[in-house]
Amino acid sequence: MLQLASSMARRRVAALFAIALAVLGGAALFTGAGVLFESGVRSHLPPGRLAGADVVVTARQSLPVPGDVSVPLPERAVVPASVVSQLRDVPGVESVVGDVSLPAAVVAPGGRVVSTEDPASAGHGWSSAALLGRVAVQGRAPVGNGEVALGSSLAAATRLAVGDRARLVIAGRSGSYVVTAVVGSPHAGVLLADATALRLAGRESGVRAGTVDLVGVRAAPGRSSEVADEVRSRLAGSGLVASTGASRGDAASPAAAASRGLLLAAAGSLSGIVLLVVGLIVAGALSVAVEGQRRELALLRAVGATPRQVRSLAAGQASVAAAVGAVPGIVLGYAVAGQLRGLLTGLGLPPEMPLARSPLPALCALLLLGATVQVAARAASRRTSRMSAVEAVLESHSEPREVSRVRVVSGLVLFGGALVLSVAPLLMRSALGAGMTSLAGIIASIGLALAGPALLQRLGALLGPRSQRRASSPLWLAVENVRAFAVRSAGVVSTLAMAVVLVLTYVLAQTTVMAAVERESSAGSLAQHEVSAGALGGVPDGLVEQLRTIPGVKAASAVSSTTVLWPHTVLGDVEVEPEPAMVLEPDTWDVLDLGVRAGDVADLHGATVAVSEDVARSRNAGVGRDVALLLGDGASVQARVVAVYSRSLGFGSVVLSRDLAEGHTGLLADRVLVRTERSSRLAEAVDVQPGLALSSISSGSLPVPPEVKLNLVVILVLLGYVLMGIANKLVAATSQRRDELAALRLSGATSRQLRAMLRREASLLSVCAIGSGLAVAAVPLMLLGVGFLDRPWAAGPLWLLPAVVLVVVGSTFACIELPGRRVLRERPAYAV
Amino acid sequence: MSVAPMAEPVFAEPLHPGPASAISLEAVSKTYAGGVRALDDVSLEVPSGAFVAVVGPSGSGKSTLMHCAAGLDVPTTGSVRIEGVEVSGLGETRRTELRRERIGFVFQAYNLIPSLSVADNITLPLRLAGKTPGPGWLRELVSRVGLPERLDARPAELSGGQQQRVAIARALIARPAVVFADEPTGALDLRTARTVLALLRSLVTELGQTVVMVTHDPAAAAYADTALVMADGRVVEQVGSPTAPAVANRLVALEEG
Repeated sequence: MLQLASSMARRRVAALFAIALAVLGGAALFTGAGVLFESGVRSHLPPGRLAGADVVVTARQSLPVPGDVSVPLPERAVVPASVVSQLRDVPGVESVVGDVSLPAAVVAPGGRVVSTEDPASAGHGWSSAALLGRVAVQGRAPVGNGEVALGSSLAAATRLAVGDRARLVIAGRSGSYVVTAVVGSPHAGVLLADATALRLAGRESGVRAGTVDLVGVRAAPGRSSEVADEVRSRLAGSGLVASTGASRGDAASPAAAASRGLLLAAAGSLSGIVLLVVGLIVAGALSVAVEGQRRELALLRAVGATPRQVRSLAAGQASVAAAVGAVPGIVLGYAVAGQLRGLLTGLGLPPEMPLARSPLPALCALLLLGATVQVAARAASRRTSRMSAVEAVLESHSEPREVSRVRVVSGLVLFGGALVLSVAPLLMRSALGAGMTSLAGIIASIGLALAGPALLQRLGALLGPRSQRRASSPLWLAVENVRAFAVRSAGVVSTLAMAVVLVLTYVLAQTTVMAAVERESSAGSLAQHEVSAGALGGVPDGLVEQLRTIPGVKAASAVSSTTVLWPHTVLGDVEVEPEPAMVLEPDTWDVLDLGVRAGDVADLHGATVAVSEDVARSRNAGVGRDVALLLGDGASVQARVVAVYSRSLGFGSVVLSRDLAEGHTGLLADRVLVRTERSSRLAEAVDVQPGLALSSISSGSLPVPPEVKLNLVVILVLLGYVLMGIANKLVAATSQRRDELAALRLSGATSRQLRAMLRREASLLSVCAIGSGLAVAAVPLMLLGVGFLDRPWAAGPLWLLPAVVLVVVGSTFACIELPGRRVLRERPAYAV
Repeated sequence: MSVAPMAEPVFAEPLHPGPASAISLEAVSKTYAGGVRALDDVSLEVPSGAFVAVVGPSGSGKSTLMHCAAGLDVPTTGSVRIEGVEVSGLGETRRTELRRERIGFVFQAYNLIPSLSVADNITLPLRLAGKTPGPGWLRELVSRVGLPERLDARPAELSGGQQQRVAIARALIARPAVVFADEPTGALDLRTARTVLALLRSLVTELGQTVVMVTHDPAAAAYADTALVMADGRVVEQVGSPTAPAVANRLVALEEG
């Protein structure tokens, strides 16, 4: 059978090429998403500054969720300092180091702030140098409060040498230090005397007294696995984790490790839509290919093949073509994953995060596509395989006049489902709710593919009699063709409509949320300016007070962002998802207006939170209630709700008091919001202070968020893929009309008339596609507008619609005109 | 019977086309790429109202003769006139228009347009020419070919014989000067073939329609007024009032010869 399949396939190169192309694109997208997913689960950061530690002990930086992937904790959870002495007498241990990280940056002469590591965690105690591995040290250890050692790359970047005096900002405190050593490792950062480091990192008193961030253990040569085992057994039951080998890299920076979740999120958001689109396009290519060899398959029936054999043959052929496309597709997929990773880097993925490159994603892509191709090929050849052999060899072929009821009904059911989904933005004012708009659009366009033939027939029945009477012969022929081949035409129309729907719903969902976010944050921002100090690792001590004294400044308050986990029940399942949360000072209300609906944010002292209306409603968390939260480091806290506010899009759905977050987030605040009078000396004041950056938060200046960029790239890729599918289908379908076009010419049609007919067909198809696409997209987009912007239309660039229309019309015309011309160049007498 | 096969050995002088000639070929040759000479200096004239059968073994050039005579193809050398209009010099569009108005075609494979109803298929050449059929003409044609009840059917819903009768009605709708039929019974069973041939015959007898039919079947040729026997690209013989045995004998003689 396979041999027969391949010899028949050789004569159907064009149609099978279409399948191969569709599979190629699908394989690339599947593999790309698969690599991201696998990396999200398995890849590890390079060990970096912990390369010399054989075992790294940390608190558990993830929260296990029953029945789901565990949630990574982005804030550092600390380890009791007593662990250091507990492990010191493990046999084979060479040294044990309690390590802390703290913000540190060097202010080079001229006020330039230099840091080679992440400034928020570049500072460590001197003993941490032992964790770097075997490195050359030039100079002596820093002692007391006025001395530092620098990593070699930092020293080179600042041109500092042993003995030089330099200004450093450490944990928000600016001071003058003498460089006592240069450590020959690029990862060393800034090293302080151990006691100084502990004191500045807040480990002598307060919430984190008596703790370290991690404990590094060095084993004697050759004894590392033995030491690791013993460390694990001593730590059993303590909740601490001992990492060895590749997993040490994650221990160095929980935030970086947690950002790996981005890979999972990106893969997740890709996979659903990609699966739907690839399935549709591959199935479309297959149905055209099968239609093209209807007669051959029917003849096989006539000479004694069973319907099952005919279906296997079609599936076998499709599999051969798919295999041809899959190989380059998979190779392309690994490249695509690399590109996507680049995009995710802009989203906060650490650039040194590697991708896991195993054959697993390729295997999964093959399995998925193989199943898709088999099912689609068998479904496409079902009708042909069941024809009676006599019917099969008939010269003239037309589609049945009645479209199957099951098909129409399932199409309408999908429309209904899409309608239900498109209500989501009214209930969930979040990116998730907006995402349902795109999903509703896609599902509705699949419904269109199913119900389309019946709709087209209705439309044809309406237009038909008119065109009989008045229209020119090309237009009349075009209408009759679209009407008589309603299934074929609806296949093209629905794919084109899907392109329209995909672009409109996907892009406008993004831009509408952006517009809503911008609207809320500009309405809620009383401050006009934002001062950040990323280069210093956070807002330095005293900055807020200093800013308040500047002439023209009316209010200033520090703000931080962190993550909270709020276990809550959704439909009987416990959901734990990391949610961004702001940490605010009690006086933030001078610069920020959250749109408080109940309670008072001035009460945000002690263990208190404020929540958005959505959250208050859905999680039963009104004012005065006590709620159980997990902070970003996994610490369990009880907090009282003191206020409920409305601007959740602009400011997130949870706000923590500074007191509550103390000791569970970074040492320093992220940024300071500043409200000024019309003119102020703020700019000059910020300018003279090293490491500060001033930006305006006046309305309309929000940058395009990176996740929007990611989504736009995804939609562009998908649009390209869908257009390729359309081109495939149209080119193959037009080429297969050779007999019909020849017969028309023998009936006296001129080439010009036939070209006109093909163009009328293209116009009809485009008009139907754009019309139905707009109709399908309209309801979800309207509801999106109502949900997010309180008006019945979505926000987005005005050129989007004309651009989409242009692309759809252009590609339809090109894909009908070009093969049509080629067919018409043949002499009709030889074509029949 | 006034058909004159003008193969060179028979007549030395070419005939001048008169208004009574539906088709005239003068010294027509057709050479295909690769040097295959499908027609070799053929001259002939088909008067109005004649039913001419072109017979010959496969490869004898009968299909090429038809393509050239009907203006589907242009000869390499020589002249083809349809009702006195020289075809060789016309472009593809102009030739199509001429065909549309003056020539009807019936093919072995029917070549009906699957998306159009029977009525639309029949009137298609007129629509393409921007004309409407006279009110009585379509009705008369449909009843003549025996399909008055199937006007709304699609071709796929008809039997082979019915499809061929639709094709014949379509060939006649524009009241062409000549109907060319290329193996019109090739795909039909014996009985259906006979009704189709009788239909063609009646068109000639009752309507005075000129018909040129290419066939390999001596029994089909017997319906014609004249049979032209072709071999190696030439018209080698003209059989007046052909009978099936007479034509069959000629063909056998050619194969053996």
